[in-house]
Amino acid sequence: MFALLTQDPARTPGHIENPAPPLAVDTYGQLPKLASTFDHVDGLFYFTYIVCIFFFVVIVGVIAVSVVLYRRKTWDQPALSNVTHNTPLEVVWTVIPLIIVMVMFAWGFKGSLDMTNVPEAASRNLYKATAKQWNWTFTYPNGQQSFGEVWVEVDKPVAFATESTDVLHAFYLPQMRVKRDVIPGRSQVVWFEPKEVGDYHLFCAEYCGNDHSKMYAQLHVVSAEEFAKKPWDKWDDSTPAAAAKSGESLYKQLCASCHSVNGIPGVGPSWKGLFTKNADGTFTGRQREVLVGGQKQTITVDDAYIIESIKTPMAKIVAEEPYNRGGMSAFDNIEDRKIAGLIQYMKSLAEAK
Amino acid sequence: MTTNVPVIDTHAHHAPEAGGTNYLNNRSGFWSWAGTLDHKRIGLMYLVGVSIAFLCGGLFALLVRLHLWEPKGMLFDNAQYNQIFTLHGAFMVFLFVIPAIPGSLGNMVLPLMLGAKDVALPRLNLLSFYLWLTGAVLATLAIVLGGFDTGWTFYTPYSLYTQQAVVTIGLAIFVLGFSSIFTGLNFIVTVHKLRAPGLTWFRMPLFVWALYATSLLQVLATPVLGITVLLVAFERLYHIGIFDPRLGGDPVLFEHFFWFYSHPAVYIMVLPAFGIISELVSVHSRKPLFGYKLIAFSSLAIAIISFLVWGHHMFTSGQSTYAMFAFSFLTFFVAIPTAIKEFSWVATIWKGSIALNSPMLYTLAFLIIFAIGGLTGVILGALNVDIHLHDTYFVVAHFHYVMMGSIALAFFAGLHHWWPKMFGVMYDEFLAKIACAIIFIGFNATFLPQFIMGSRGMPRRYATYVPDYAPYHAASTVGVIILTVGIGMMVFYLVASLFQGKKAMQNQWGGVTLDWLCPTPPPLENFDVPPKVVHEVYDYSTLDYQSMQTPVR
Repeated sequence: MFALLTQDPARTPGHIENPAPPLAVDTYGQLPKLASTFDHVDGLFYFTYIVCIFFFVVIVGVIAVSVVLYRRKTWDQPALSNVTHNTPLEVVWTVIPLIIVMVMFAWGFKGSLDMTNVPEAASRNLYKATAKQWNWTFTYPNGQQSFGEVWVEVDKPVAFATESTDVLHAFYLPQMRVKRDVIPGRSQVVWFEPKEVGDYHLFCAEYCGNDHSKMYAQLHVVSAEEFAKKPWDKWDDSTPAAAAKSGESLYKQLCASCHSVNGIPGVGPSWKGLFTKNADGTFTGRQREVLVGGQKQTITVDDAYIIESIKTPMAKIVAEEPYNRGGMSAFDNIEDRKIAGLIQYMKSLAEAK
Repeated sequence: MTTNVPVIDTHAHHAPEAGGTNYLNNRSGFWSWAGTLDHKRIGLMYLVGVSIAFLCGGLFALLVRLHLWEPKGMLFDNAQYNQIFTLHGAFMVFLFVIPAIPGSLGNMVLPLMLGAKDVALPRLNLLSFYLWLTGAVLATLAIVLGGFDTGWTFYTPYSLYTQQAVVTIGLAIFVLGFSSIFTGLNFIVTVHKLRAPGLTWFRMPLFVWALYATSLLQVLATPVLGITVLLVAFERLYHIGIFDPRLGGDPVLFEHFFWFYSHPAVYIMVLPAFGIISELVSVHSRKPLFGYKLIAFSSLAIAIISFLVWGHHMFTSGQSTYAMFAFSFLTFFVAIPTAIKEFSWVATIWKGSIALNSPMLYTLAFLIIFAIGGLTGVILGALNVDIHLHDTYFVVAHFHYVMMGSIALAFFAGLHHWWPKMFGVMYDEFLAKIACAIIFIGFNATFLPQFIMGSRGMPRRYATYVPDYAPYHAASTVGVIILTVGIGMMVFYLVASLFQGKKAMQNQWGGVTLDWLCPTPPPLENFDVPPKVVHEVYDYSTLDYQSMQTPVR
């Protein structure tokens, strides 16, 4: 317990580093401004809200009036009335709330059908959202991928097939009114039609372990012209410096939740010092003790080792505590040019000194 | 009706032959407590135990809120934060809210209200307490063994993979479940077999009705939780493949099992609170409870329907349309008996003789806070709205308005109400009223902002958060500091009263149920002469005003 209370600052940052701009709020200040077609959520929310405020005011009003009028003035003062029941009144306060809640039920059920029945147009525009501890991978209808952010076209219904490779997560877009648990072993489809261009928060809403609160992505809703430029496909590797820069942005979306670049230990080992720069501009990898099938080996870090560690992380596990149990899930679908960018970024860390 | 015949001759019991001995001082020494079969002493041991659990859970809550003062978190790293919020939930739910009222006040008051010498099965009662204690020790051991970070819901498959003391805390919950089942069994038998002559079912005080309905739930629902945590333990140790999708299991099955217990458990927690409020509203308004039978039956109706609404915790899990339809319909349906109770309490106050003493202030605070807790539950019952609000701070605020604001406040109300009965002393009423006001303000300051940030999309169980929600988190943290001051004051004046409190009256508040007609504090077997009930319940025309001015011996 006391160990928990002492702060240990030497960890990777536990928070989201580059969130979308603050979400806009609707006129009444209670809900984020709606950016999809699910306006029945807002309608029923405010209807229920007003009904609740009405009943709350009635209840508190009667209590307040009673306390003022019937406050006991002398210690032995009896009650003004000894009534034990009033059948018509009890029928009224049973039946009226019953009618009101049945209206709410029907309204809510109808709305949920709209949200769960995926229309034809949306299922033709089917993305995949893959959740793993603690990041999101998105696959576009054309098979391309992006990490930690996803672009969709405005005014065009879109569906996401949600999948998890480890534990429960939840796919939550507050401004779209979309939420669905992401369950390992099942693929579930959610849909919405974005109506407003902008950048939106995508949260994980189901607790999934250490960095649950960091499992964040951005939804970019863009115009048809912008979408046609495939903004997720930008990958500049024209020069080593440009490749390192592209690699750095991918690192922030995909790797930073577990690996630091400044030597601070995280869920996974830090990338600091993987390479050192030689006088002639080439790079030499560090020596590292790894476990191969439980056997200790010393290897030299090179491009092949990095590629293997990304695609099949359990092949060579860092032998040092606490990393010797492994635990990183495989990223076997990252394009080679992007892995090359990541390696270039690792090497650029040596230059930074 | 022979309305002028007193229920029992109360004066006879204040006579010197009692010799000033009562259940507190008739025997002394460690074993006179540790081995006692007296329901009142067991009740007091429970009271001490659950109060310590509440203060621990409260400390964890304070740490959680202080950490969330800043978007990046102030005190802990994410792993530590996850352990702290899990400890807060697990301690509060399993060690405080479920056992608190039945274990302490229920044990103390139920036999008194029935005119019985003790519960029907006193040895089983002591065993319940020791099982609770074992559960508490195991839960503490789990912290020492590395803690647990699963949330109090233990959702699979995360709870199967995480490298922490999940099996130990599971064992604690298993043992605590038996404690709960035995208490329920005991109360059911006691209510059936030990009612005083003339105490018909519809003359029973509503606290008894509430404890009876609670007991049915404890006996019927708790075994499912026991089996579920056992399965999780087996899954962790032997990898059977029940909940783990890697082995062909289904994590959603766990959610069904878990909520099949844990939704009725919400009513295991809240029904005793309803019972306390029913008593206090009547006594402190000196007026028969409005709609007695409807309240009694609504407790049973809630107990039954509560078994059929568990799926509303899983509206976003991808249930079939038919399941969603049924669970949402029944969820709205359960709102009706709950609303009837609230309306009946308010109607009881109307034209009463309202004493604004501290138990009544806590009761009024309950009525306001429970109105908010209940009504926001209606908002969450709607299927499409719940999809947006599920697993956000809106839900967190809603269930804290019910669990903390309503149940804990009802517990405090009952504690202040029966304190003079239990100990024969009065606490400082002035401090008590001030503390009640501070707790009321602090509580609302803590949780009202959470409704707003929740409906704006702030997910729960976040160690850090995007800066959009910072002002609401800050307001909530200020609220919890105020709340802590109020609770600290309450602990102070209650404990102080035991050492230098002034003597209470035989019938401090003017109650007419049997618990106020036995000597204060009660002697070992409660009633010197077995009582006989000849009046309807809550008939204040029979109130012996003299007993309100006779100090305890």
